[in-house]
Amino acid sequence: MGASEDEADVERVLAGELGAFEHIVRRWQGPLVNLAFRFCHDRSRAEDMAQDAFLRAWRALSQWRKDAPFSTWLFAVATNLYRSELRRIPPNAVALEAIAEPRAPATRSLDEEDRDRALKRAVLGLPPKYRDALIVFYFHSQDIPSAARSLGVPEGTLKARLSRGRDILRGKLQKLFAKPDTKEAL
Amino acid sequence: MNQEDLDRMLSTQENIVPSSGFVDNVMDAIECAASTPPPIPFPWKHALPGLAAWLIALVSFVYLAFAHFDASSARSTLPRTAPMLAAIIESLKAVDGEWIAVALLVSAASVFFSMRIVGARV
Repeated sequence: MGASEDEADVERVLAGELGAFEHIVRRWQGPLVNLAFRFCHDRSRAEDMAQDAFLRAWRALSQWRKDAPFSTWLFAVATNLYRSELRRIPPNAVALEAIAEPRAPATRSLDEEDRDRALKRAVLGLPPKYRDALIVFYFHSQDIPSAARSLGVPEGTLKARLSRGRDILRGKLQKLFAKPDTKEAL
Repeated sequence: MNQEDLDRMLSTQENIVPSSGFVDNVMDAIECAASTPPPIPFPWKHALPGLAAWLIALVSFVYLAFAHFDASSARSTLPRTAPMLAAIIESLKAVDGEWIAVALLVSAASVFFSMRIVGARV
């Protein structure tokens, strides 16, 4: 994805050529929809959120200072909107305690699907600042500077939130993911 | 569960592909927004004289309140620990403005609670 293509398209949009924004949407639809999906785990809602993010980006296009790549600015706009959206209507998160127990918890570990589902719900059940930090950090392939810029927080703050978020998550998942052989050994 | 386990699980999240009509929907929304006239901005230029007059009136009132308070402090029954509040109350009494103050407070409370109720519903 070329930064120069983004810049050229932005300039065309600002010059009044609305159609040039379609190139931006085509280029960034995948990442923006997937980031939204990680926040809500609902395909339809993710597309609605991404659409709102593109609309907001279009409205604020003149505010892009070009001192950072367009993608950095776009992700910051989208992340900000997704977080507000989740504050307005929280994701359909169920408390970890309310998740159905694995079919035979005492005799076998969770299969991958159960594990994945439980993990998603546990992440969504975290306090927002830790949840957002974890979602954005792993979305950016564990890149601290990118995630910090998307969230608009200093890197040190993000590291602290990640650490605390992981601790909470680990504590919550420990019981659920406990291996049966470990229990038997005790 | 160690850090590596958690990193591995959180890194392997599924990716989705946007639906085929997604780009069209976005562009439709943007074209719709582009064709809608922008919202009328608040007329700050026209409101500025009124706001300035209101500010001058407020400052004058506080000044007069203090002047009045100094003159009548000897016969005041209000505690001296809150001189500004006492001055304002004394001045309101002097111009029979207690009911105006009460009405303003009731209006403010009504606006505050209405906004809270509407905010909770949105």
